[in-house]
Amino acid sequence: MDPMEVFKVEFTGEEEFGARKYRELIMDILQDLGLIRSIGRLYVYIDIKRPVFVVYGLLRTGVPPLRVRDVGDVLKVEGGYQVKVNDEVHMSKLLQVLWETYGRERVDQPQRDTLIIASDKDPADLVVADLENEFRQDLTDGLIRIAPEGFRNRKNEMGKDSFFFVAAEEGFSPELISELKEKIRSMENA
Amino acid sequence: MLEPVMFTGGVYKHDLVIEMIEDLGGYVLQKNVTQSEIILLLLVPSEDMKSLQALVKELRGELVRAPLAGTEVAVITPTLAIHHLPHLACDIAEYLRRNGTKTNMIGLSRGVGREIAQINEYEVDLVNEHDAAVFIFGNFVDCIRKKESLYRNIDVPVVVTGGPEIPKEELPYAFEYVSAVGRIAHRARKASELGMLDRIVSAVGRALDQTREEIAKDPLTTSPPRVMDAVREQVPEVEYSFSPLPIALNLNGIRVKLPYGQFKDRVRDVTFDEGVSLGEIATISPSRMKEYILVRIRPSSETGFVF
Repeated sequence: MDPMEVFKVEFTGEEEFGARKYRELIMDILQDLGLIRSIGRLYVYIDIKRPVFVVYGLLRTGVPPLRVRDVGDVLKVEGGYQVKVNDEVHMSKLLQVLWETYGRERVDQPQRDTLIIASDKDPADLVVADLENEFRQDLTDGLIRIAPEGFRNRKNEMGKDSFFFVAAEEGFSPELISELKEKIRSMENA
Repeated sequence: MLEPVMFTGGVYKHDLVIEMIEDLGGYVLQKNVTQSEIILLLLVPSEDMKSLQALVKELRGELVRAPLAGTEVAVITPTLAIHHLPHLACDIAEYLRRNGTKTNMIGLSRGVGREIAQINEYEVDLVNEHDAAVFIFGNFVDCIRKKESLYRNIDVPVVVTGGPEIPKEELPYAFEYVSAVGRIAHRARKASELGMLDRIVSAVGRALDQTREEIAKDPLTTSPPRVMDAVREQVPEVEYSFSPLPIALNLNGIRVKLPYGQFKDRVRDVTFDEGVSLGEIATISPSRMKEYILVRIRPSSETGFVF
């Protein structure tokens, strides 16, 4: 079963097998990169005669930025604050942010998962990672992996809640882009 | 007649196998030690197979037929990028290897795309040094048809694999076309995918059989394993080559993995019991692969004798 609400692949000519296989391939790659749950709808259009490869997707957005309080417990202690980190994956980014905000000399790490900050300013609301931004980067990487390798002219319009990705062997004109957008729109409305 | 087999077993007492092969007049083609396990590729006289089987049973080893032993196959992908590697290409190479062949993976420099795919002269020559080639293509019928230009000038038999079903007549330059592979992003694990690997192996087997038949029409002056043994004996430096397989066997010769400039004369002067030197019965030229020495044994129609 597809984890997406809508996943359509359209193709031209006799490439039915290719379209079916690309469906599998897209699922594999998006799953590998852990992106599949963030995509709501996906429309793929392949015209191998031209040749051009289009992916349009609607994103399930609304991932809030990761703050210090999300990665650990913040406690007020004598002379400052203590952060007990629960998820070590974010440790390096957390340290980076704390160093930038308070300066290295004020951040102490007595234990592997404990940080002491010598400051009166509460670190709980500091942003550790912008997950939305990271997701967009991963998605672009995924799309480049998905598109056939020879299609080296690429265009990626990443919006707030959708993306439109075109890859082709030859260069493309604004007319072609608008034609492809029209094609995707008709797929959406079908 | 020599039978190609693969021995898998413990390192302990494996020298008994090697000794027996030497006594029987067979050849050890390849020896791979992986910690306490050893894999030997052997050529054994078929009439002595029983005695070898008895010894292997005693050693608790395993002996299987390796129909592709003593050959070298190129596994070719359009490039070495993540789009084509590692899953499918490595699976195919590994499967071929388990059947005894030596595989080399080649990523073309500009093999991608439908219109823009191309192969250069160096790559063609490199592929021609092998006994057969497997080209791995993608999922689109049109692309596979167009990419014929990549293997049109290759002399060795080419097995083409790709996703969709395409009648063989549409790909006249391919020896065989194996469908149902295509571009995938996972390891072959389903039964159908493993079946397709078997089909590729049997297609390569048929391609090699065809080459063997052609060679049999005008037999080589001597057999490549015999040349390999003589070189190994008379140019002992080859054992110190950093390559895992210092002498690679082909159907019509060998590749000695020593620098051409330094060792070509030593290889040319290798002599056989019959009194002929290797230079008289084979052409010795620089290989396209690194600086290695390529030995191609001349057919009996050129030298006038067989031994």
